[in-house]
Amino acid sequence: MNRRLNKRVFPANTLFSDILGRAADWSILLFLMAALTVFIFYPLFCLSLKSILIDGRLTLQEYENLFAKNAVPLKHSLFTASLSAVFSTILGILVAMKLSVSRGKRKLFYRAILLMTMVSPPFISSLFYIQLFGRRGWITWRLLGLSINPYNKWGIIAMQSIHFTSLNALFMTGIMEKLDHRIIHAARDLGASSTAAFFQIIVPMLKPAMWGCLILSFVRSLSDFGTPAVIGGRYSTLASEIYMQLIGYAKTEKAAAMNMLLFIPAVLAFISYRFLMKQSDRMLASENGRTGGEFPIRFKGILNLFMNLGVWLFYGMMLLQYFCIFITGFLKSRKGVYSFSLEHVEKIAEFHKSSILRSVEYSFFVAIFGTLFGLLLSYYLERRKVAGKWGWDFLASLPYLLPGTCFGLGYIMAFNRGLLKLTGTAAIIVLNMAFKQLPAITKIGSASLAQIHRRLEDAARDLGAGRLSVIRDVILPNLKTAFVTGFIYNFASSMTTAGAVLFLISARHKVAVYTLFDAINSGEYGVASLISSIIIVITIAVSGGVSLLFAERDEKGSGRKRKQIGGKERVHVSGNQ
Amino acid sequence: MYLEINDLSKSFGPKTVVSHMNLSVSEGTILCLLGSSGCGKTTTLQLLGGFLKADEGRILLDGEDITDMEPERRPVSTVFQSYALFPHKTVLENVIYGLKFQGMKKKEAVSRGMEYLELVGLSEYANARIQKISGGQQQRVALARALIVNPKMVLLDEPLSNLDAKLRVRIREEIRQIQKRFGMTMIFVTHDQEEAMALGDQIAIMEEGKVIQHGSPEEIYHHPNSLFVMNFLGKANKFTDQDGREVYVRPEAMRFSENGPLRGKIIKKSFLGALNQYEVDTGTFLVTVMEDSCHERNEGDLVRIQTDMSRICLFESSES
Repeated sequence: MNRRLNKRVFPANTLFSDILGRAADWSILLFLMAALTVFIFYPLFCLSLKSILIDGRLTLQEYENLFAKNAVPLKHSLFTASLSAVFSTILGILVAMKLSVSRGKRKLFYRAILLMTMVSPPFISSLFYIQLFGRRGWITWRLLGLSINPYNKWGIIAMQSIHFTSLNALFMTGIMEKLDHRIIHAARDLGASSTAAFFQIIVPMLKPAMWGCLILSFVRSLSDFGTPAVIGGRYSTLASEIYMQLIGYAKTEKAAAMNMLLFIPAVLAFISYRFLMKQSDRMLASENGRTGGEFPIRFKGILNLFMNLGVWLFYGMMLLQYFCIFITGFLKSRKGVYSFSLEHVEKIAEFHKSSILRSVEYSFFVAIFGTLFGLLLSYYLERRKVAGKWGWDFLASLPYLLPGTCFGLGYIMAFNRGLLKLTGTAAIIVLNMAFKQLPAITKIGSASLAQIHRRLEDAARDLGAGRLSVIRDVILPNLKTAFVTGFIYNFASSMTTAGAVLFLISARHKVAVYTLFDAINSGEYGVASLISSIIIVITIAVSGGVSLLFAERDEKGSGRKRKQIGGKERVHVSGNQ
Repeated sequence: MYLEINDLSKSFGPKTVVSHMNLSVSEGTILCLLGSSGCGKTTTLQLLGGFLKADEGRILLDGEDITDMEPERRPVSTVFQSYALFPHKTVLENVIYGLKFQGMKKKEAVSRGMEYLELVGLSEYANARIQKISGGQQQRVALARALIVNPKMVLLDEPLSNLDAKLRVRIREEIRQIQKRFGMTMIFVTHDQEEAMALGDQIAIMEEGKVIQHGSPEEIYHHPNSLFVMNFLGKANKFTDQDGREVYVRPEAMRFSENGPLRGKIIKKSFLGALNQYEVDTGTFLVTVMEDSCHERNEGDLVRIQTDMSRICLFESSES
């Protein structure tokens, strides 16, 4: 080793490979942007156009008296959304509190039940509600001998609250895990009691996130048409009314215009959510990360009682719900007497097997390609100087804030003729799911990219790697965990999503959720329960399988330690700026 | 000169970080780029490495203009501050990563990699994961990874700042040895003046995006061209001479002496190990004097001080 080595050698055709690399790099970027334009912007553009273009004339006819004509469903929507949001946020926080002070197996159990919701079809709580409190409900009719009409707003509110609580609890747990324990130690050290520290330190720190949670729940309720459609009875909300206008009366213009009523609050909510989360991040940011270990607060007295009441109520309902769903699939009722039966199994094997398999197939598609697309997109948006970055960012997150109905309707209008005729194909369903779920994937991608120090890319470039080699050698291997998370998210969501897909489905491409919706609406609760169970089991099995597969491969990599290093580097950067 | 930086400028928005900077480095030497945080030294390094595009100016290396060259084509490699080792690769894989872009066969790359690991004393960790080795070892891996591609120049961005004091000195020595052995040209960015003086053949002091003094460590320590440089590199005692001009003297140019012209009283004593540092009040000035700690003096003692007049510094326009 001496000076004689001091000549750098390069492969001869460097200029050529330079150009090739750049061209490939640009093509990827171009492809990403084109896809965003065609599959997000264009459908929404068509949707807006449709609502003002009637019989080839530009008119605001559908918007005239839009408020007046829809006053009742609008009022209903606001009412149910407000109450569901408040209840589910409070319950979610209580559950998150319980989770943060629990440990070991108990914590695992609490978490597992929450995660079950993520892999459950959206109608499951409505189905359970009808089973227990319906005209022939186990509780109202069998136990109490009542035959009351359960189809009303309280049913909607109760079921949405329960369903959203899981999501909110997971969200709030994530936030609470970011709390720097040393701040609480400091408060205790200065004389604050556990309860005082909770109310004076933790609650104010979590406030922005709590508001964000409330807003998300509000919008989620606004755009949920499944619950009111199934158990609302004559109590119609905007979302269920849109569904009726479209499917029932085929009035696309009217449905499109009504969608605008959902669209505007959704955008406002999204903007305030972003703002709140930025505040929350700032509040929770800590230089050296949290200290870990035991949560430094013990809940006492009334607060503890309140928390436990909420937690028992929620988990009681959840356990009952899953118990009912799993058991009903194997029961048949003969003159009011239940017995074990495989009747529903046979029926599904005969009529619904194909739709379930199709769901699995589509979900795999979305999970693989949707996730890769999303991760690549997040890389280009985060790390490359892309012109109009803000706009692309917004476009990529639009599907998240839009009600599923909007997005589905947009697809129908955009892709029903011409070159891009996709209606009635499997592609439209897969694309719709992939792009509807894209925002979550790019978010997972961004979070992971934050762990990959920018200097790593510089280091690779420095050592001779071109732009594509950087992606291949540095970015993708380090996004493996993000891929697994994204894959599971995409798979589970595709298996269980109902929003947009119900509009897009054609007879030849029925998916499991559609069959489930159909079964509930025609009163086949046994079949519906069994389909739900099957969806849950498949989703858990695939998610578990994929994580195990990657966990095993990664064993020698010890992913956890890697994160620590990333964290250390991040701290360093912030220290340097 | 081997490396020449001519009129280099870089701004981020309205903020000019590097401003018409000029600097040259001769082949086979270490230049320490020294400055407080925010003076533009890291930005300069990133401009040299090709990670930032210069707004103005040229960078010439070995007669070749590298200003607009992509980082992967530049014959320059960097040892990053937090090492930027690839977390998903082993020690050896990290070290040989750059070789594949030079078209080297895997087998040859591995044996070359082992050679370099030997050089930095890490051959037994070749297959270890990056997370499993210590900070000092990571530092050596980063150095080996930068050296193995045979760059014309190595850039080091505060490479020792994550290490504890003892290790810092040891690795500093190792870097110096390796640099001499390869005859490598290096630019070493640091904010630690002691590190810069111990390591650099030359030191360039940066302030507000400009090089304000460039020379050998001795030169700039003993003959600083501004009060800023003088204070940056060490302590300075301030006096006013007969003509009312402000003059500055390093504490070690002053000593206690029976018949020194300056009289005063020790008001503070600090034990620094080898030396004692005294603050002496002379009535008009507050003077710092260093002395071998075997001498016993106490606060309150009356002393007389002798100054080495040849080591007085005078600045044209001295700001305090």
